Amino acid sequence: MKKVFLIGWKDVTLIFRDVTALLLMLAAPFALTIGLGFVTGRFSGSSSAGLSGIPVVLVNQDGGQLGNALVDAFQSRDLATLIALSVAADPALARQQVDEDKAAAAIVIPAGFTQSIIPTQGAVPAGDVVQITLYSNPTRPTSVGVVKTIVDQFLSEVEVGRVGGQVAVMQLISQGLIRVQDAPRIGAEIGARQAGAAQEGGSIALKSVAGGAEAVQFDPLAYMAPGMALMFLMFTVSYGGRTLLSERVQGTLPRLLVSPTSTAQVLGGKIFGIYLTGLAQMLILILASTLFFRLRWGDPAGVLVLVLAAVAGAVGWGMLVTALAKTAGQVSAIGTALMLTFGILGGSFISMDAMPAWYRAASKITPNAWGLDGFTTLALGGRLADVLLPAAALVIMGAVLFAGAVLLFNRRGITER
Amino acid sequence: MRKLFAIALKDTLLRFSGWAEWLFFLILPIIFTVVLAGGTGAPADSRVRLVVADQAQSPLSADLIAALGKSEAVRPDVMPLGKAEDAFSKRQVSALLVIPPQLDLQHLERGPIELELRQQPNNMNALVASRAVMAVISRVGSSGEIANRSVAEAERIQPFASDAARQAYFETALREAQSQLSAAPDRVAVAQGTTQDQITYDPRANSSAGQLITWVFIPLIGISGMFAFERQKGTLRRLLTTPTQKATYLFGTILGQVFLALVQMLLLVGFGVLVMRVNWGHSPAALAAMLIAATLAAAALGTTLGTFVKTEAQAGGLSMMLGMVMALLGGCWYPAELFPQIVRDVAKIFPTSWAMQGMLNIVLRGQGLAGVLVEVAMLLGFAGVFFAAGIWRFRYE
Repeated sequence: MKKVFLIGWKDVTLIFRDVTALLLMLAAPFALTIGLGFVTGRFSGSSSAGLSGIPVVLVNQDGGQLGNALVDAFQSRDLATLIALSVAADPALARQQVDEDKAAAAIVIPAGFTQSIIPTQGAVPAGDVVQITLYSNPTRPTSVGVVKTIVDQFLSEVEVGRVGGQVAVMQLISQGLIRVQDAPRIGAEIGARQAGAAQEGGSIALKSVAGGAEAVQFDPLAYMAPGMALMFLMFTVSYGGRTLLSERVQGTLPRLLVSPTSTAQVLGGKIFGIYLTGLAQMLILILASTLFFRLRWGDPAGVLVLVLAAVAGAVGWGMLVTALAKTAGQVSAIGTALMLTFGILGGSFISMDAMPAWYRAASKITPNAWGLDGFTTLALGGRLADVLLPAAALVIMGAVLFAGAVLLFNRRGITER
Repeated sequence: MRKLFAIALKDTLLRFSGWAEWLFFLILPIIFTVVLAGGTGAPADSRVRLVVADQAQSPLSADLIAALGKSEAVRPDVMPLGKAEDAFSKRQVSALLVIPPQLDLQHLERGPIELELRQQPNNMNALVASRAVMAVISRVGSSGEIANRSVAEAERIQPFASDAARQAYFETALREAQSQLSAAPDRVAVAQGTTQDQITYDPRANSSAGQLITWVFIPLIGISGMFAFERQKGTLRRLLTTPTQKATYLFGTILGQVFLALVQMLLLVGFGVLVMRVNWGHSPAALAAMLIAATLAAAALGTTLGTFVKTEAQAGGLSMMLGMVMALLGGCWYPAELFPQIVRDVAKIFPTSWAMQGMLNIVLRGQGLAGVLVEVAMLLGFAGVFFAAGIWRFRYE
């Protein structure tokens, strides 16, 4: 065991003395994480965990009961964080704010809107539909969708109230329960009662349940930082594998094998060294991003287990590449190609949500995809138990690939004396 | 001249001696171009994802889900309750709507039915989902609600003679409510503003141009590795003992790689035109000027790097890191407009920024030679400065 540890420790020391290796192991993922942090707005404070403060301009030319109610709805406490409402008098100015991208939408409630739905006593409705205008900003489709939903909800309630009153009165008249001349008075009474009932809830009610006790806002860097760390972990493991072939060419491996050290000890030591290097790389990157970017990786136990498993999965791939390659240069070339391929396939550059199902399924052959899945879960407040599946998948991946690599090593006699 | 060609040919043969080079020359650039074109554009559906667990599987629940699908704020994603709860507990979704088994017309007549909306705390997307669900259930359940209220109003005046009479009254009211609601006029008109998108972006064009630059810059910066290799192996000294001038060696090596880079760029442009349908071809003069200027700038950077790297491995690592960082900050992977202004200003020191800007002027903004003159001049300026520094400081031994 001591020999395994010594061989492993020797490799770790050698790698950490190599400036080039350190550039790609530590500097590159760190620099790219900073760059991606800028892209997501993480360092400029413009990133958002969701929609909030949607700027809306409202022009109420109606001034009636319904127009005022819509203004009240947008000014309600529920929407205080979601909507940043400003009230304007001039529709042209409101539209201008949208055109200049200062607002996501402008809502214009025209004069006569209330009158078109609730005619005043004795007045006959004109019959024309008076429409609210929603002037939308085409560059903010999601925000516009949210504003439209709020307007739709309001209008839906208005419509239900209008139709409800009419249906109830018509039914009562048709059944002879009230006289036609009493309809306006009874209709007004029913309307008032139904408005109260609507406040209490309809025939389909919605019970809102808050999940979890703690509010967690997703930090985009919590996806980017592990994405880059996992990608460059692939470089580290292939670099480690390269040393096995280099030592064979340079003659240090045969020398080691003629000493009283078994092949298994040598191979175990080399793998232990690669594993330890990958582990150190991941832990340094995690520590650095925690210190410099104030990045919260989540449950420490979960992070540790996932890092241990991710390194195991990556080492499996590194050993397989080493076993397949004929020269150290080939390991380097294939390792770099694999690093980049797994980076793009496993979601280090792009959000997997944007990709088709077959792509997401194919990504599961990479340690990056499983690792990112686990790290994202932890960053969102998940615990150790929530990342056991990706951790197990990574360990199994590592074990299977390692077994394959050992078979290939034996067949090719790489570790023969 | 023959020596120049001989050196260039030797470098080309060395570079393509292993099949792995094709990965970096063509295969990976194409993979990255295709994937990033599909994965970095504005999402096709930017609505908030709402996970729905439909335990009722009734026509009413189907209506409800269909109405949610038409919402402009949420995108329903129907899945079994267990899977939905798992995603919610892992906080992968902002909101989960649980439709109970009793959501159907029979149960609706007996009284209100409660749907459960689980929301992540202090989450704006969950609030958006809540508003959208409320808007939809208010529409979907409104006919039943109106009919129930109509029955209640009648009962206030006179109790029904029998359950059958009550049922008949309910059904008449329900039909009337459905008829009136379906005939209800649209009371909101949506007009689209003329807001200009501040980010000029086309996923295919950006990806084609950005990956072309990335994958050509990395090997060209890697020229430094070829110099280091020759120094390490001692072949440079041997070469210089022959009647070959230092300048011949240097230009032979650089020209060979520049020629290969131009071939690689033309292949990637061809892929962009034929497969990605990117408009590369409308100004061949502008395209040629940009390709040559960008290639020379990258090769010059590699030459400068070659003055201080000691080993081939060092050069490989540095070219990979520099190439990726410069490509990212130069806007080759994601639109430069996404970066803060100060980062965009700083990124102007990278040739990748100018290369990307020039390429986008061609493929995205449809400009000709006049539209890329500044970028070409800047890239040639980079090339001049780096070549001068590289040749001046070059260590031949």
